[in-house]
Amino acid sequence: MSETGHQQADTDGAIDFEDLFETAPCGYLLTDRDGRLVRVNRTFANWVGSSPEALRGKRLPDILTVPGKIFYETHFAPTLRMQGRLDEIALDLVTADQRKLSVLVNAAEARGAEGADVQVRFAVFMATERRGYERGLIAARDKAEATVANERAESELREQFIAVLGHDLRNPLASISSGIQILAKESLSERGSKVVALMSGSVVRAAALIDNVLDFARGRLGGGITLSLGASEPLETILRQVVSELQSISPDQEIEASYALVEPIICDRVRIGQLLSNLLGNALTHGAKDQPVRVDASTALGDLTISVSNGGAPIPPAALEKLFQPFFRGHDRVRQGLGLGLHIASEIARAHGGTLVARSDENATTFLFTMPLAKAEEPGE
Amino acid sequence: MAGHFPGGEPGMSIDHGAMTILVVEDDVLIRMHGVDILGDGGFHVLEAANADDALVILSNGADVQLLFSDIDMPGSMDGLNLARVVCERWPSIHLLLTSGQHGLQDGDVPGAARFVRKPWSSQGLLDRVRDMVKV
Repeated sequence: MSETGHQQADTDGAIDFEDLFETAPCGYLLTDRDGRLVRVNRTFANWVGSSPEALRGKRLPDILTVPGKIFYETHFAPTLRMQGRLDEIALDLVTADQRKLSVLVNAAEARGAEGADVQVRFAVFMATERRGYERGLIAARDKAEATVANERAESELREQFIAVLGHDLRNPLASISSGIQILAKESLSERGSKVVALMSGSVVRAAALIDNVLDFARGRLGGGITLSLGASEPLETILRQVVSELQSISPDQEIEASYALVEPIICDRVRIGQLLSNLLGNALTHGAKDQPVRVDASTALGDLTISVSNGGAPIPPAALEKLFQPFFRGHDRVRQGLGLGLHIASEIARAHGGTLVARSDENATTFLFTMPLAKAEEPGE
Repeated sequence: MAGHFPGGEPGMSIDHGAMTILVVEDDVLIRMHGVDILGDGGFHVLEAANADDALVILSNGADVQLLFSDIDMPGSMDGLNLARVVCERWPSIHLLLTSGQHGLQDGDVPGAARFVRKPWSSQGLLDRVRDMVKV
């Protein structure tokens, strides 16, 4: 029957509105202000397994599921009355054979011919697939969130494990270090003294590695780098100690150090020592062996600067950008290290309100740490 | 490294020759090292492997001016609790605590106790101890 209707429309150029209403590819409902069905098209009646005549006189909530009824009375009807229209509302209908039918509804109030007589027009769209799809999306999102939460918990556990391991490794290492220093005072053969010096260097390397791994794990756990600021002990003592420790690891390589620290410096001495240790360790590992490594520490123009330079092949620009990322090791994978040293050094610089930058050309590769001096006292005054 | 301070500072050690320090540390090598440093610095040194032993030594009437104790120790009492007990029963004893943990400072240990971080440098530890017993 609908086919003849279509043909009519095509041939005559006129539209059969009655047929368009009855057999439209969506449901049409007309209700009065209280939601009582005044007219229902055949498409809709077919969907719910009924007839337009049987539906007439029922209230719209009568053919909704229980949650649907509640939603209709508490939200749908009041909002519609207030706004005059509602779009894309999801409702669940109950069919004659008690199946649930998910639909989307657009509703608009319309003045009847007499003016005061308000009717509500509904366009109803089948939404079973769409709602299923949406539910699938929500389920997928929940699952993804659960996976992310799971992974976060796992990585937290892993980093806590690293932190505990690092901490526990420090104790036996401190014990070995003490043992070496006791032995170093004994009268040893030349060979024995050499072994003790090498062992001492290995302890320094292991301790630095543990410090870096612990700081990294702590950073990942949200702790970040914590500072114990102080100004009592001269920084130069710490820096000299770091240089002499690393010199003992690489006795054949020349380190030229100069210190011009004249102004008071408020910083975490242990941390700045760690920063220099990481930079100097990096320079000794990657720099040219036949050229000296330069360390310059100075205070000038309200800044503390510590620079470490080495000769050798320049670092390619692309690698220069990634230098401070954790676990970056360039092409030189064979030569020790997790690639955490420069990352931690830059974090220490940041924690001090300072910067760490790298420059590299044919003449030298230089890491420059700069931090403002004595800034902490000014805001209080 | 040790070449920086050959033989320590002989002039300083004579002043504190009579001072007694009790070193409390569970790790044998670290304890030996501490005892060596302080002994070389001219102090008379007693040693204990844990808090209980330390309390026995003190209870027996040893004339100790300074207690130098590790914080992380196994046994019934750690270094912090030992420091509290000593502070209460022998208030005249100076307290110096030590640990390998990052970030601890003088303010984190009880009362008038002071803190020095591991690993100690010989000179740094001696300076700290001399500074405390002088007061």
